[in-house]
Amino acid sequence: MTRLRLIRLVARREILERGRSKAFLISSGVSLAFILAAAILPGVLSNDDPTTYDVGVFGSRSAPLAARLPEVARLTGDEANVKIRTIGDEAEARRLVGSGDLDAAVGDGPVIVDRRLGDRLGLLLQEANRQVVVEAELTGAGVGGEVAGRVLQPAPLEVLPLDPQSEGELQRRALVTIGTVLLYGQLLGFGYWVASGVVEEKASRVVEILLAKAPASQLLAGKVIGIGLMGLAQLVAFVIVGLTTASVAGSVDLPPETISVAIQVVGWFVLGFAFYSCLFAVGGALASRVEELQSTTTPITLIAMASFFVAIGSGDDPSGPVARIATFVPFSAPLILPIRIAAGEVGPGTIALSVAIVLASILGAIALAARVYGNGALQLRGPLKLRHALRARNAGAAAPSTET
Amino acid sequence: MEVAPGRIHGFVGRNGAGKTTTMRIILGLAEPDGGEVRWHDRPVTAADRRSFGYMPEERGLYPKMSARSQVVYFARLSGFSSAAAASAADTTLDAIGLAERKSEPVERLSLGNQQRAQLAAALVTSPELLVLDEPFSGLDPVGVDALAEVLQAQVARGTAVVYSSHQLDLVERLSDEVTIIDQGRVVAAGTVGAVRRRRGVDQLRIALDGGSTAWAEGLEGARVVGRDGDEVVLELLPGADDQALLDAARRAGRVTSFRRVLPSLTDLFREVVSR
Repeated sequence: MTRLRLIRLVARREILERGRSKAFLISSGVSLAFILAAAILPGVLSNDDPTTYDVGVFGSRSAPLAARLPEVARLTGDEANVKIRTIGDEAEARRLVGSGDLDAAVGDGPVIVDRRLGDRLGLLLQEANRQVVVEAELTGAGVGGEVAGRVLQPAPLEVLPLDPQSEGELQRRALVTIGTVLLYGQLLGFGYWVASGVVEEKASRVVEILLAKAPASQLLAGKVIGIGLMGLAQLVAFVIVGLTTASVAGSVDLPPETISVAIQVVGWFVLGFAFYSCLFAVGGALASRVEELQSTTTPITLIAMASFFVAIGSGDDPSGPVARIATFVPFSAPLILPIRIAAGEVGPGTIALSVAIVLASILGAIALAARVYGNGALQLRGPLKLRHALRARNAGAAAPSTET
Repeated sequence: MEVAPGRIHGFVGRNGAGKTTTMRIILGLAEPDGGEVRWHDRPVTAADRRSFGYMPEERGLYPKMSARSQVVYFARLSGFSSAAAASAADTTLDAIGLAERKSEPVERLSLGNQQRAQLAAALVTSPELLVLDEPFSGLDPVGVDALAEVLQAQVARGTAVVYSSHQLDLVERLSDEVTIIDQGRVVAAGTVGAVRRRRGVDQLRIALDGGSTAWAEGLEGARVVGRDGDEVVLELLPGADDQALLDAARRAGRVTSFRRVLPSLTDLFREVVSR
């Protein structure tokens, strides 16, 4: 029987059994709900128009206030959102503010509001008031015409950005951040499944029958490939569902790099999973019961978490020293490269070198995992020290294969 | 240690003598410090090992998988095609009396039925060699008889069966051959009869009405080995006359039973293994 057939059989069992398990179905459902929410909600929330201000003016200054407020609102880009009504007297103002029809009412006395005056509306009202007063003073002093116009409506300040950030760039960063979060979630989630799959077979003792049928390395390969394919399929489904929903709902403007970022996330999942899953398998092989898994996988979980934060943090400084180093560290490379590539910080040479480092690390991780798995599989009592698992001479991993 | 086709081979020794390790070496789960495993007069291959049926001492199946699907899975890992594995699994599970519950997850089966499923996993490949580590431990007498029947049926179709057990009376009754190991070395091996005869002495088992056994102390030509219920177990010294002992017994009371037997495996075991 060929190696490939054994690996395929093991992988098939993982997919069939896990695909049916409640844990998988529930976690898929929850993740999908989050993704749908992330794709739809921004649209729903932004359709809920930006706050509008209903302002009532009354009393002796109602006419100039009603004239000045729209001018002031234009400066802050709020002209469409400020609605002005001229009302009768303070009693009507109190009634309308009290009933919520007005956000604020301005007369000759204090500004009437329900609870408090918002900062933005407050600024608008103060500025309008200042202009009305200045205009009256200017008129009183006999200053009019062009001079008064320059004083009341000077040319607005212009802005000179030294490092302009385009709208598209923001969207691209948001997209690649979401992609990295997704990638990290899949790596950690399915990596942990490999660890728990290994320890379940040890805890249920079925591993001894398995090892009598197939070498440790092939059992491990089948498990990693089976669970990895599920993670990959789930990731692709999430990406497709998320992007389709977002573009159909029209809630998010997808930048042109979307497809390339999606492909990168999927590609880095394959490499990252091959690496991380082997390390998780080591964690699983060192435990003998599910309860011990927490402690044996903690180091690798912490490293993954640190890599994730370094990657996310590098979004702010994609060319900094931390980001540069992390590109060539196998733990963080899969998470940081999509971000740095999207930022246009890395060339093909760097990418190739980083991929080569990850590939080499995968080979090392496979060798380590096969050895620890083979040696640890029949150590069924108490958590194992990595040192001992590497030294122990036992079982399938080292057994000479007479395979044809 | 040699195991012949169509024979049941009992494998006994104290805890820690090396029974499980030996079985693991046969299956390729542990490496021997010395020696080798040969199958049909040549070194055993991975393919041979996959065809062997194995029931480890630490029983284990996937708890959430049905008995049938995991028996199918093990058959496929042994090289069976999908269709052959399915039909072999059904045949085995039916023969072993698990037909009705085979689709239930193993964790929901009773302990007895879990044991059956475990045995089915070992039998599904119709193995030429069946290696069972403590197959009788934890079984009630009815379960012991049922398993013994299954093993005899396997042997009838030419399977070689090796099993370990601490129940020496059972080993004596069930096995064609027996190997006793101590501290990793074979200390006695052969057919059960040959092993029991190896010291060349017989035992006399004598019971008197009323169950008195004190009469046997200090007899000439025999020494007391022990007592078994009403019976005194005596070992006949070389050249002694068993009829003289019968006379001595009759002088002490009414003899209800007088048997000349081979030493039991238990007696022999006590003698050959180190304390």
